[in-house]
Amino acid sequence: MLLEVFLILGTIIVYFLRSRKKEETLSFKDGWWGRGQKPDTEEDATIWPFKVETTEKDLSDLYRRLDEARFSEPLEDSCFHYGTNSVYLRKVVSYWKNQFNWKKQVEILNKYPQFKTKIQGIDIHFVHVKPPCLPEGRSAKPLLMVHGWPGSFYEFYKIIPLLTDPASHGLSDEHIFEVICPSIPGYGFSEAPHKQGFNSVSAASVFYELMLRLGFSEFYAQGGDWGWLICTNLAQIAPNHLKGLHLNLASVTNMGFTHLLSILLGRYLPGLFGFQEEDVRRMFPFLKKGLYRILLESGYAHIQATKPDTVGCGLNDSPVGLAAYILEKFSTWTDLEFRNLEDGGLERKFNLDDLLTNIMIYWVSGCIVSSMRFYKENLQKGIGTQKHEKLPVQVPTGIASFPNEIMHTPQAWAQKKYTNIVSFHLMPKGGHFAALEEPELLAEDILQFVGRVEKEQLWRKKGE
Amino acid sequence: MMWLALSLRERQCQEKASRGDTWVASLRAAARRGGADMWQEVLPNAWESILSRIRSFQYSQKNAVLVPAAALGVGGMVVCWLMSRRKIKRLEMGDGWWGSGERPLRENEDERIRPFKIETSDKEIEDLHHRLDQARYAPPLEGAAFHYGFNSDYLQKVVAYWRNQFDWNKQVEILNKYPHFHTTIEGIDIHFIHVKPPYVPHGRAVQPILMVHGWPGSFYEFYKIIPLLTEPAKYSLGDGDVVFEVICPSIPGYGFSEAPHQKGFDSRATARIFHKLMKRLGFKEYYVQGGDWGSRITTNMAQMLPESVKGIHVNLVFITMQGFKKLVQVMLGAYVPWLVGFTREDVRRMYPFMQKNVYDLLRESGYLHIQATKPDTAGCGVNDSPVGLAAYILEKFSTWTNKSFLHKDDGGLESKYSLDELLTNVMIYWVTSSIVPSMRYYKENFSQDPHLTNDSRIGVYVPSGIAAFPEEIAHTPRSWAKAIFKNIVSYSYMPRGGHFAAFEEPKLLAQDIIHFVRRVEQL
Repeated sequence: MLLEVFLILGTIIVYFLRSRKKEETLSFKDGWWGRGQKPDTEEDATIWPFKVETTEKDLSDLYRRLDEARFSEPLEDSCFHYGTNSVYLRKVVSYWKNQFNWKKQVEILNKYPQFKTKIQGIDIHFVHVKPPCLPEGRSAKPLLMVHGWPGSFYEFYKIIPLLTDPASHGLSDEHIFEVICPSIPGYGFSEAPHKQGFNSVSAASVFYELMLRLGFSEFYAQGGDWGWLICTNLAQIAPNHLKGLHLNLASVTNMGFTHLLSILLGRYLPGLFGFQEEDVRRMFPFLKKGLYRILLESGYAHIQATKPDTVGCGLNDSPVGLAAYILEKFSTWTDLEFRNLEDGGLERKFNLDDLLTNIMIYWVSGCIVSSMRFYKENLQKGIGTQKHEKLPVQVPTGIASFPNEIMHTPQAWAQKKYTNIVSFHLMPKGGHFAALEEPELLAEDILQFVGRVEKEQLWRKKGE
Repeated sequence: MMWLALSLRERQCQEKASRGDTWVASLRAAARRGGADMWQEVLPNAWESILSRIRSFQYSQKNAVLVPAAALGVGGMVVCWLMSRRKIKRLEMGDGWWGSGERPLRENEDERIRPFKIETSDKEIEDLHHRLDQARYAPPLEGAAFHYGFNSDYLQKVVAYWRNQFDWNKQVEILNKYPHFHTTIEGIDIHFIHVKPPYVPHGRAVQPILMVHGWPGSFYEFYKIIPLLTEPAKYSLGDGDVVFEVICPSIPGYGFSEAPHQKGFDSRATARIFHKLMKRLGFKEYYVQGGDWGSRITTNMAQMLPESVKGIHVNLVFITMQGFKKLVQVMLGAYVPWLVGFTREDVRRMYPFMQKNVYDLLRESGYLHIQATKPDTAGCGVNDSPVGLAAYILEKFSTWTNKSFLHKDDGGLESKYSLDELLTNVMIYWVTSSIVPSMRYYKENFSQDPHLTNDSRIGVYVPSGIAAFPEEIAHTPRSWAKAIFKNIVSYSYMPRGGHFAAFEEPKLLAQDIIHFVRRVEQL
């Protein structure tokens, strides 16, 4: 009897001791992602300017494929419930071929200075925008903004001016930023890794090196979708360099017993679990708004996390297929109600030029397959199994929670991981692609977050 | 007994009901006589006595025994009746209309069976070649083999063969060697092949068998097994005591069968249409065989119209993993298989359980998840890019034939199949543009919670035969199959082969089908 008691006590003590170890940081992940063997020579650290280019050959090949596209009739009355409606898709393709001007869009892409540099064996592409006019004695705060899938650096083109030149856009110019938007390796104009194992921690390490190479020892980071995870990892790798972390998506993958309990009882006892009224409205009934929704919308993640090369193959060869695949996300993840619309509600929140420019980035760089592999590298062992998912984040964090995000994470849950939440706002409108859809709202939230961090010099507290 | 009679006598003077008195008197008389015949006289009037007892407001020992006994008897009868009702429960046939637009008010459906020949044109082949020539590939990761999906280095080799050596005209001739037909059922054109035995000995019965394909297969998967079933003696599969005429339809939305235009076309609708097809062909009783979707469709057929299904043979059993009993069986099965009804072979195939049944299935079911939720999105690109289509389909022919093929740079495809036959199957999807409707079938079938639908609770009572292939995606032991198949006549552990049994091991499958039908015919 005594033996059992000691065993149980011992187990509990050991468990607590081990769980106390949560104070450790995530280590920087070095790697080599280039082709073949890593050379012995020192890596070339030059940064060279880059411009997006297009050729007549590219365009005529694209148009030919658009002309030859084969469509399947949708089922009657299916709207967007079976995926992208091919009747609407035909309209998009017609616009793409006849009105969309890729050359003009390339000029728009090139209006911000872009560069490339080699890190850990692969060329990293990034946009670096400095404020056009900086008042006397002021300095620009470096801000790293990371995109996700199926987005790209282009998603930030509307929000960049609001951050580099807030005064001209009616925002307070207390804080002015210089913005760096890299492309995740395997996306857009960043080279794709040639080796297996390039996950979010690898991406965070590469971006950390990038910021150091650009001469920034202290900076802010912002992200949604994969950008959320990469920036979170960055905060875990280099907490002393990150002044603040701002997220428009905060997923919690480490579900514990209290989470389960709060799902079962949260609707009836919201106060007990720290839920606000809006949290309850967004989360419950949980089966419908949580589980079923995730199941309905995560097919792409499942196949990309297991067979990316298979599913990406056809999309890299058919621009129409690529458009259908990507546009479906821009429709459903902006507002789930858009599934009931025949045109997926796409043009209510975005214009076709922006949507097609994003798709063209995937098309001309041929990166859809490598972009999908990122899912496998991150998810193949299962959700909630990685080390970094169990580590907390101590960097000052600001979270903008948009209402139409697929799954809502209440502050009560986010707090368990992000232990230093400085601001958590339930945004009035907007969905997953916040920077593209609601740039003003997002910019305002970033500005007020940075304001708080700077005022209280919160980041200094860590050093003292 | 004597004590009973005595107590009755005691209360005799308080009796009011005349009938009760009579009955009591008879009871006393019987008690005096004693013996077994006492109850013979008691029971006929038991009900009346109960009533009188109740009326007399007396709770006697007799009531204490009789009322529960009566309740038990009635209860038992009710249970028996309920159980027997479950036995004859069947899947409702229902009805449907899948054509475009409104269903015509006056139904004069054209019931003719029209012969059909597959055709191709130079234009079609040129368009294909042009797309193959302009294909764009993404290089695979170093050392990835087939772990990330279809390896694009090997894909380029397949496409080179497809472009330069594969002869679609010749393959179309091969496809046309069996007679094809079309007929309109429920508003859509159903395609099927119907192969009769070339020679039937005098007096021998020819068994009609309906064989249903799955995804991403087609009627073409049966081309190697058909001759083994129509002319078994020629292939030394018996002395011709069992000979078949084979009907292989294409599931609506697949191949040359028209795709449904309305939502809701699931396996039950397919089963009903196939029954109507067989009826139209003049068959009242027939065998059915299937794997993949074919297994589910033929199961539905047996549940819907058991009197028409002489026997059902499947090479895959769909089973849901729910149930506490199953959980216990799984946990104990590794250690005491005989206790939970697993054979040693079952254990060998099912364990390590988590790896083989959970992780492997999760790894292989991405396609199922996306097709069951967004088929139009998933299919769009592969309907427009033949290379994408080939990668998508052939990945399954690799991994579902043998999971260890994942480690091979070429996916082990050509070790079991020829590129000609693999590409012919892909071409059927390409020239008919049927990949999107074929994917929608997943959404239509998985949209509803499987536990709420009827068919999971309705058993299959017709004679059933199961061929369990070792490299099938997941193994179902006989003890679990019994939950659905109540009348298993034969369950065979096949020595080799995977998911595409008819395509990969036609002789083994044919042997098992013949063995099964022999048993049924002798029953």
